[in-house]
Amino acid sequence: MNNINQLLFFRFIILSLSQVMIFNNFLIFGNTINIYLIFVLVFPLNFNKSFAYIITFIFGFVIDFFSNSFGIITFSLLISILIKPYILKFAFGNFDVNKVRKTYEYISGTTLYQQISYLFLMFFTHQLILNSVEIFSFQKFDMILNKTLISSIISIMFSYFILLIFFRKNA
Amino acid sequence: MRNFVDFIIKNINSIIFLILISISTTQIFSRNYYQASKFNLFSSSVVNSIKEIKTEIFEYFDLVETNQKLVIENSYLKNNHNYNYENDSIIFNKNYSYTPSKVISNSIKFSKNFITIDKGSFHNIEIDDGIITSQGVIGVINNVSNRFATGISILNSQLKINAVLKKSEHFGSLYWNGKNHQIMELEDIPKSANISVGDTIISGGMSSIFPRNIPIGVIYKFELPESTNYYEISVKLFEDFGSLRNVYVVKNDFKQEFNDLKNLNE
Repeated sequence: MNNINQLLFFRFIILSLSQVMIFNNFLIFGNTINIYLIFVLVFPLNFNKSFAYIITFIFGFVIDFFSNSFGIITFSLLISILIKPYILKFAFGNFDVNKVRKTYEYISGTTLYQQISYLFLMFFTHQLILNSVEIFSFQKFDMILNKTLISSIISIMFSYFILLIFFRKNA
Repeated sequence: MRNFVDFIIKNINSIIFLILISISTTQIFSRNYYQASKFNLFSSSVVNSIKEIKTEIFEYFDLVETNQKLVIENSYLKNNHNYNYENDSIIFNKNYSYTPSKVISNSIKFSKNFITIDKGSFHNIEIDDGIITSQGVIGVINNVSNRFATGISILNSQLKINAVLKKSEHFGSLYWNGKNHQIMELEDIPKSANISVGDTIISGGMSSIFPRNIPIGVIYKFELPESTNYYEISVKLFEDFGSLRNVYVVKNDFKQEFNDLKNLNE
């Protein structure tokens, strides 16, 4: 357990720093690259749920604080971690959440198609909530959808490479 | 109690999630200006609709009183003007058009009071229109939605309106000191004016908002401080702001022209 705590701590620091210092400064087609969702994507599954929510809340709060978007990212991150088990089941098939410890263990045997669908569903729902709260208008639904699609595709590309390079063994 | 603790222990995850989500939601609506204003617009339209239903219900209980007021107003108009509507500033002042409307909410207990009425931009009501009754000036419209409008009440320490002594035509500005909802203060009346308790104050008509000759109140008490050349006058209002129900929104049809001309000199 101690090992997992350390791992979480390092991910927290490195992911929030890289998002705030590096990726918040790039705009591609007017969208930022949101790699911070990796924190939720590879969050240990058998972790205590209450602690998971609280850690995610603090993580979102830190990123919100540096992105001047008070509460919006926290809100959508909390929703993302809530629906993560359902999307995992949808993408990779049925499994017992309590028995699997590392995300890597069940990703290892899966196809690229399954991994991409997991990434896409997570990013799409996250960006949809984020943009809906940010734009906050039913009349601009086409704009919300447009931004959601573009930013999730860009974020998936970056996140996939980061996952491949850094989280191959430890995820 | 034990059941309650059991319930909390069983659902601790959901409870923590709900608490965190509500914290972030409050953050969103309290610290992001755009979302907050959107949310306020939505919530105020819901609240106003509910208040409108409440007003519609309670109106029936006040029908007798409203009728009496209308009879008094009618008889006043008939007696004083002998059906000569051409001279009646309230009904036939040709520069002004009048929209009758109902008060949905009104306050008198704050130092900055606002008033909400049941007519909005659908009824051609705009910002800076005046709100009056037959017995006095009520306020100025400051926000308009489709079906509602809010106004700054004259019982608001930020608003000053132009007023005139009916007897001597001296003009000054009327403001509220925030203490008593029936008493307002009139300033800038010079020492040379010959005034006494009971003199009538009417609206001055020098701005483009209110027409002239709307009765406002009578002088309740006055004093002349030694160091200045102006009276300090307290005015007792005719209108009882505590029981406001039917008002007119008054619009100056030549407001644009008036203001353009005024701006040329400035």
